[in-house]
Parts: sequence; structure tokens; C-alpha cells
Amino acid sequence: MLKILIPTLLLIPTSWLAKAKWLWPTTLLHSFIITLFSLAWLKNTSETNWSTLNPYMATDPLSSPLLTLTCWLLPLMILASQNHLAQDPLVRQRIYITLLVTLQLSLIMAFAATELTMFYVMFETTLIPTLILITRWGNQMERLNAGTYFLFYTLASSLPLLITLLALQNKTGTLSLLIIQLLGPIPISPYVNIIWWTTSLLAFLVKMPLYGVHLWLPKAHVEAPIAGSMILAAVLLKLGGYGMMRMMLILSPLAKELCYPFIILALWGVLMTSSICLRQTDLKSLIAYSSVSHMGLVAAAILIQTPWGLTGALILMIAHGLTSSALFCLANTNYERTHSRTMILTRGSQMILPLMATWWLITCLANLALPPLPNLMGELIIISALLGWSWWTIIFTGAGALITATYSLYMYLMTQRGPVPNHMISMNPSHSREHLLLTLHLLPLLLLVFKPTTIWGSAY
Amino acid sequence: MNPYLLIVLLTSLGLGTALTLSSTHWLLAWLGLEVGTLAILPLMAQPHHPRATEAATKYFIVQATAAATLLFAAINNAWLQGHWDIQHMSHPLFTSMITLALLLKLGLAPMHTWMPEVIQGVSLNTGLIVSTWQKIAPFILLLQIKQIHPPLLTIIGLASILIGGWGGLNQTQLRKILAYSSIAHLGWMVLILQHSTALATFALLIYIFMTSATFITLKKCKATTINMLTTTWTKAPTITLVAPLMLLSLGGLPPLSGFAPKWFILQELTQQNFIPHASIAALAALLSLYYYLRLSYSITLSLSPNNLPECLQWRVNYPISTPLSSALPAALALTLFLLPLTPSALTLII
Repeated sequence: MLKILIPTLLLIPTSWLAKAKWLWPTTLLHSFIITLFSLAWLKNTSETNWSTLNPYMATDPLSSPLLTLTCWLLPLMILASQNHLAQDPLVRQRIYITLLVTLQLSLIMAFAATELTMFYVMFETTLIPTLILITRWGNQMERLNAGTYFLFYTLASSLPLLITLLALQNKTGTLSLLIIQLLGPIPISPYVNIIWWTTSLLAFLVKMPLYGVHLWLPKAHVEAPIAGSMILAAVLLKLGGYGMMRMMLILSPLAKELCYPFIILALWGVLMTSSICLRQTDLKSLIAYSSVSHMGLVAAAILIQTPWGLTGALILMIAHGLTSSALFCLANTNYERTHSRTMILTRGSQMILPLMATWWLITCLANLALPPLPNLMGELIIISALLGWSWWTIIFTGAGALITATYSLYMYLMTQRGPVPNHMISMNPSHSREHLLLTLHLLPLLLLVFKPTTIWGSAY
Repeated sequence: MNPYLLIVLLTSLGLGTALTLSSTHWLLAWLGLEVGTLAILPLMAQPHHPRATEAATKYFIVQATAAATLLFAAINNAWLQGHWDIQHMSHPLFTSMITLALLLKLGLAPMHTWMPEVIQGVSLNTGLIVSTWQKIAPFILLLQIKQIHPPLLTIIGLASILIGGWGGLNQTQLRKILAYSSIAHLGWMVLILQHSTALATFALLIYIFMTSATFITLKKCKATTINMLTTTWTKAPTITLVAPLMLLSLGGLPPLSGFAPKWFILQELTQQNFIPHASIAALAALLSLYYYLRLSYSITLSLSPNNLPECLQWRVNYPISTPLSSALPAALALTLFLLPLTPSALTLII
């Protein structure tokens, strides 16, 4: 674990000592090397599922894909932010990279923590860099509002979780994930049970986000700079799903009926948020709502607690992480050229940036879960797991898949096809940097088709 | 102020607190409190401004009332029980009376109303002394009284956290905001006081670090309103960088030091089966977080060339170097990085 953590920590001096000319290349190369080493986590040779154990951290098949995704995202964020920060003074660029590295560190420690208290602390630690990323480096005035929403939604839901965790520690004497699953059911009264269950999951359901408590997410996404949107969509939302899977393991003997309202809300949310996507005018907001809709599927799959559900949820989380991050990058390439997120003002990009249109096509197809991409694998497993749980869910999941396809098509047609507006007179051609960025998003997605076991988790 | 006079006043301040801390006799403890109060009054009234005089008067009246109540209760206690020992108070009425007097001295809700008024009236340096050093003596006395009626402290603690958060929400004056923040923090200490004196002391210590760092920062930036903070980045870039972290540490976000006392207080409360209290306290702390967040927005998170929410000051007051500025790095380090060291810090106290 230190093999990754120490080089990540050393990225901070790298970013402060590198010469101005070499600042971005050096940090990029450095973070790529870290990513390369992190791939080793995916090979799990341990019989007990846990590997790279140390007293506080470990990886297992559930956390290692998410950890690798986190490490994968840092160089991509550095790559994506270069143009956005080109006008800033050098010191601010260095601060920005430092911020990204801090976020990365806390995310790695959150995913790798074996102790729930440490997971909680690290879960909260990610808030500060993300908050600064949104409110300091966002563009519009509304970013402050978005930052407040982001912070208070998360904190208001996660403080009860802290208290629940502390109470759990009193009850069981440990919060170690390695031990707590061997303890068996914890004797508590039914009334406490309900509160306990709700408070433990609420923090993660807000982070996911569940439909109904999702309002912070579109705001945060729309206002955040490109790196903020990428990390938010790709990793921070997954922190919610990951936390739920971990907590459900402990809570699983308790109250199965309590899931029902949340499953209904999640499935209803799939339908509602994807319908909202159909009438969005703002490109980033559309992608944000599409994230909410996908995460609704993940939430429902985790809540039904079947092995297939958990597998599907993990696959969809990884696939969606790469896809939505790629979509935000594409939206940003448009934004950097047209300075507008409004789709009607940026039509007909295919004529101007033809190769970019290919990336748009592939990413939109990945978003609507085209075979054989892992997105389809995840959705299919989730839909069949939900179908096995109750026949009625097919109405929601089926309609949800249909609307997802519709809005992905809508997004593609609105941005790429149609007449080029008259106000677009001078546009820069695409940089190789942008092509590299998208290749690095989509390549892992395609490669995962050949070896999906890496992201199946331990439940299959 | 004349340096000789200043030395006399500052030594008396130190002497008063030291006297209270080392006494086991109520009369001596009362004496120490009075020496502390009297020594700070000239410092408060020193800027020749009606607002400062008003603040000094208010402070004097409140502290004198509290001290008189304390003396009255101690004398009556001695009369009834035949001893002046601080540690062996047992009469419920006089114990409650002394507790309330000390809570008034500390400025806890509902006896908090003097606190924002006084802090707003005095200079930032004096404000720093009032909200840190002057809290130590009454707080240590409170620690030593054993038989306090339990719900009293719980109710007052929770009320202070709530009111400290609530009151600061619509303030634009930084010193008032800091006063409310101080009320909220003291609420946490009083809440845990009857369960673990060590944790209360720990919380006081961290509170002193954080508040000192904040006051010194504001002094250095010469800022007394939220609007004046917006030009910090032109005056002190490094402070601009660290200030939001310092404020979020005051708000108690991990991984900053401010989270440590909250974490351990919540843990102790859940261990003693006061889960509802712990939940209320934790959620009420979000109210305070809102104004810390607003301050960090104005200092750092809305810099030029981004568009700004406030109008900029057209005149820049350049940062000043006070003798206290040299303590700023140490105070900031303690404010930001103490959480990983918490276990060892706790063992030092317990």
C-alpha cells in the first residue's frame, strides 16, 4: 500500500519543485507511473480475498477495481485540466495539482481502509479538496451555492453515520471489516434497528445520490471545473456505493423490509432522472442527471443484497465511472471552444471536429450500454438480479434503459449533428492531448470486455 | 500604551489565572478571577472610542455579577458546611449557583449575550485574550466542582452549541462571528464536562489553538468585517491559502485538528448511552460550519479573476506585523495537523 501512497505523497513536492515548462509533463508522467503500479492490485492471489494487508489498510476484489480507477483518474484529471489552467499564474497551477493529489490520497485511503472509523474520516476528508475544487476553480457565481449544497448534504447525512459507527463500536468492540463480518448478528431492539439501518445507509445514499436527495449533484457538476466533474462522477459517487456494500455486510441480518422504500425510490429515480435528461438544455447538467439515473440502478442492485446484484453494481460503477468521466471531458472540449454549455448553441460539431465526433459516438454508445461494453454487462446483471427479486421491477428498469438510449441519442444528435450555428467562426482544432485523454478513458473500457473478472468483485 | 503599564497588566492577567488554577480555597479562587477581570479592563478600554468603553463597562458588570454570585455562594457554603474547599462542594443549591456564575463568566447560552457585544467592542488582540486566556480560570474551576446537577450542564451545553451556531448566521462582523463560534465551542466542552474532564480539557486546548490562529490571522489582515476579508489575497497570499483550512478546522471537519475533540466527545457520549445528545450536538455543529464556510468563501474561494460576490474595497490596508504574528505559524500548524497525533495528545492529558 505504501508503494502507492508514498509516490502519491511525493507528487506534491514534484508539483512544487518542477520547472514551469515541465510542470504538467512531470506530474503527468509521475502519476502515470503510480497508476501503472496500482494495476498490480487487480491481481488478487489471496485465498481470503484480502491482500496487501497492513494494520490499517488492505485491498480486496471489491475495493481494488475502485482503487485502480482512482489511480487511473489522477493522470486523466491532470491531462484534462491543462487548458483550463493555462491562463492561471504558475503558483496557482501548482496549488491546483497539490489539491488533486490530496484528493487522490484521501480517496485511496478511504477505499483501502479496513477500519470503518478510518473509512469515515477519509470519506469526510475528500470533502475539503472537492469543496475547494468546486468553489475556487469553478466558473460561475453559482458555484458557491453548489459548494454549500455539496458540503451540507453530505455532512448532514454523514454525521448520524459517525454516531452510529461509534455506537456500533461500543456494541461490538471493533469496527474492523476483517473481524466484524465474523461476529454474527448484533442483538439490538427492533426500534433501534430501524434507526441504525437508516442512519448507516443514509450517508451513502445521499452520496450515491438517491433520487430525492440528489439535488446537490447536478449543481456541483455544472459548476465544478473539468477535473472536479471527472473525479465527482468517476470516483466520489462510487464512494457511496462502496460504503453501502461494506455497511450492508454488517447490517445484512437486519430488517430486509426497510429496503423497500429505498429500492422503490431508486427505481423511480432511474425513470424520473432519465426523463429529466430528455428535456435538459445544459450539457453538463444532462450528464449529471444521467449519472443520477445510473447510480439509481446501482443503489437498487446493492439494496436487494443478492450476489448478482452486488456484482452488477460493481461492474456498472466502474464502467459508469469511465464513461461519465469521458462524457464530461467531451463536454469540456466543447466548452473550451464555445464557452457555452447550452446544447442548442453548440450544434453540428461533427462538421468542425470530425474525429471528436467518433469519440462522442463511442462514449454515447457506452452510456446507453451497447454490447459488448462492461456498461451492458453491469446493467444486464442488475436488471436480471432485480427481475429475480420482483417481476415488477422490469417496468422501471426496462423503461429506464429505453429512456437512457433515447437521451444518449438526443445528446449525440444535439451536439454533433444539425446545422452549425452562425456564431461559431473560429474554433481550434482538437489537440492530441484531448484525443489521448479520451483514448485513455475508452481503452480500459474496451479492454475490460476481454477480462471482466477484474471488476466482478468477490460476490460472483 | 505605556510598556511598563502593559507589563503590569499582562503579568496581572497571568497572575490572576495562575492564582485561580493553584487554589483549593474559594476565596483565593475568587480573588484570582477578580484580578484577571480587573487587569483586562484597561486593555479593553484603551482605544479611546465609545464602543470600547461600552464593551469594557459591559464586561465589568457581567464579570462582577458573576464573581459576586460566586462569592455569595461560596460564603454561604462555608457557613452551612464549614469549609471553603473547591473540590468538596456538596450543597446542591450553592453548587448550582456557583456553576451558573462560572457559566456566566464563560459566556454560555442563555447567559451568552454579553459575549458578542464585548468582543465586538474591543481590539482583536484583546478579543483574543478574552476568548482564550480568560476562559481558562473559570473553566478549570468548573472542572473541579464534582456534584453538578447533570441535566443542567447538558441542557446548557446543547443550547450553547445551537445558539452559537444560530447567532453567527446573520452576522457580518468578524468579531461577533468569532464570539458566537466561541460560545458553540464552549458548549461542546460543557456537554462533555460531567463525563470526562480530560476530554473537556483537550477540547479547551484545541479550541485555544484554533481561536488564537484565527484572531492572529484577522489581526494580520486587519479585517473586522466579512467584506474586508475579500482583499486578503492581495495582502497576504500564504495566509489566504491556509485560512479556509483553519476555518474548516474550527468547523470541525476531518482531517483537521478541529475534528479530534468533536470525535472524542461524540464517542464518549455514545459510550455513556447519550446517543440523542450526541446526534443533536453533531447536527447543531453544522450551523456553525455554515458561517465558517461563508468566511472561507470570502477569503479564498472567490478570488479574482473569478467574479466576486462582495464588492471589493478600493483601499488596501497593508498587513501589519504584530508581536503576535510570530506565533501564527505555530498556531496554524496546531490548528491543522493535530488529528493524526491525537492519541498521543490525549495520553498527555489523561
